[in-house]
Amino acid sequence: MKAEVKTWLQEGRFDIFLGYRMMAGHALPHVFVKDRLQEVDELISADARYPLEKFAARIAAAQPGIKIGMLARDCNKRALNVLSIWNQLEPGTVETVDVNCCPSNLKDGAECSYLKAPKTGFHKKQVGIDNQSDPEDFESNDQQGRFTRWMNEFQRCIKCYGCRNICPVCFCQECSLEHPELIKTGDLPPEVPIFHLVRAVHMAGRCIDCGLCEEACPADIPLRLLYRKVNQIVCDIFDYRPGSSLEQSPFSILGETPPEPEPLKAAGSGGRE
Amino acid sequence: MEVKYVPSVCSYCGTGCGVLFEVIDGKITGTLPLKTHPVNEGRLCIKGWNLHEYVNSFMRLKGPLIKTGGRLRRVSWDQAIQVTAERFSETIARCGPDSIGVLVSAKMTNEENYIAQKFARAVIGTNNVDHCARL
Repeated sequence: MKAEVKTWLQEGRFDIFLGYRMMAGHALPHVFVKDRLQEVDELISADARYPLEKFAARIAAAQPGIKIGMLARDCNKRALNVLSIWNQLEPGTVETVDVNCCPSNLKDGAECSYLKAPKTGFHKKQVGIDNQSDPEDFESNDQQGRFTRWMNEFQRCIKCYGCRNICPVCFCQECSLEHPELIKTGDLPPEVPIFHLVRAVHMAGRCIDCGLCEEACPADIPLRLLYRKVNQIVCDIFDYRPGSSLEQSPFSILGETPPEPEPLKAAGSGGRE
Repeated sequence: MEVKYVPSVCSYCGTGCGVLFEVIDGKITGTLPLKTHPVNEGRLCIKGWNLHEYVNSFMRLKGPLIKTGGRLRRVSWDQAIQVTAERFSETIARCGPDSIGVLVSAKMTNEENYIAQKFARAVIGTNNVDHCARL
């Protein structure tokens, strides 16, 4: 793979290549260029995951017309699709080199930070929501109980904006979460649950389920689970999975008649009927 | 255009979380947590996430300033130290050494904190030394 990357850089197929390299004892994202080709010998694909596609979008915004090559896992590729759909990246700016990611018997080896069991604190293990669970585990009718459990999780929020800052598909210049008239400033925790629900609604049709938000949350709030539920609803109604293709999102159609949503089925949707 | 990702340590409090700076053309334009750092393990507080704004802020002090006539005026280090020493001596003479308090902080190194408390106790002659975390 390294030899191919070197060739591509030399030929000018890419202007830069985004991958990882060991520096100061850490696997860090690195920009490989033709002028320093020998660095490509140190190219690795680490299991620490950084949102390389977000870096690519920022670089392309600073230097339009640049051609970027990138190491990509499945989640990176989904994020690239979503960024292209929402006009943050010109299609064709980024070319991906696939990396072993999620485990399968058909692949040798898998590298993903999500595969390691997270270190969960004692209290959270006892009473908190298991971050690795599925939305289906919350289908019980005890609405008050469910609400209390979620509120217990949200109340730990320290409003670091880590979930939003690291999200590869969050790109708004003016974020609703920072709007003083929507979210009152100066409170810790921020107004719960509205802070997290605003973010969840904005992730509908955009979240690509990479899990970086949960990895970045200092309070271990089960964000990925929450956004999975929201996107399950999107999938049920609009039959749309973010990042699966370059198909336009149902939320991006302005002015035209949106596709007819199907009525929510009575059972199994988790919503009120 | 030169893009680099430079690892560093957050200077904001005593925890010392690992951060990764996105440096474009020699200027810090973005901050990310270091995912493999043992202290923070890929998480940051809001101050750490915004280091790039603090570093490049126009409000950063670049040199000593003295307030004269209600306005802050840029002066040399010698002048600033001279004025400070005069005012300290004058205050100690008028109100005694315990009228001065020294506040240290987690942003400084242990060595600087040591010097500050030594200065308070040996030079000024007061026990009034405290830390921002206790406030």
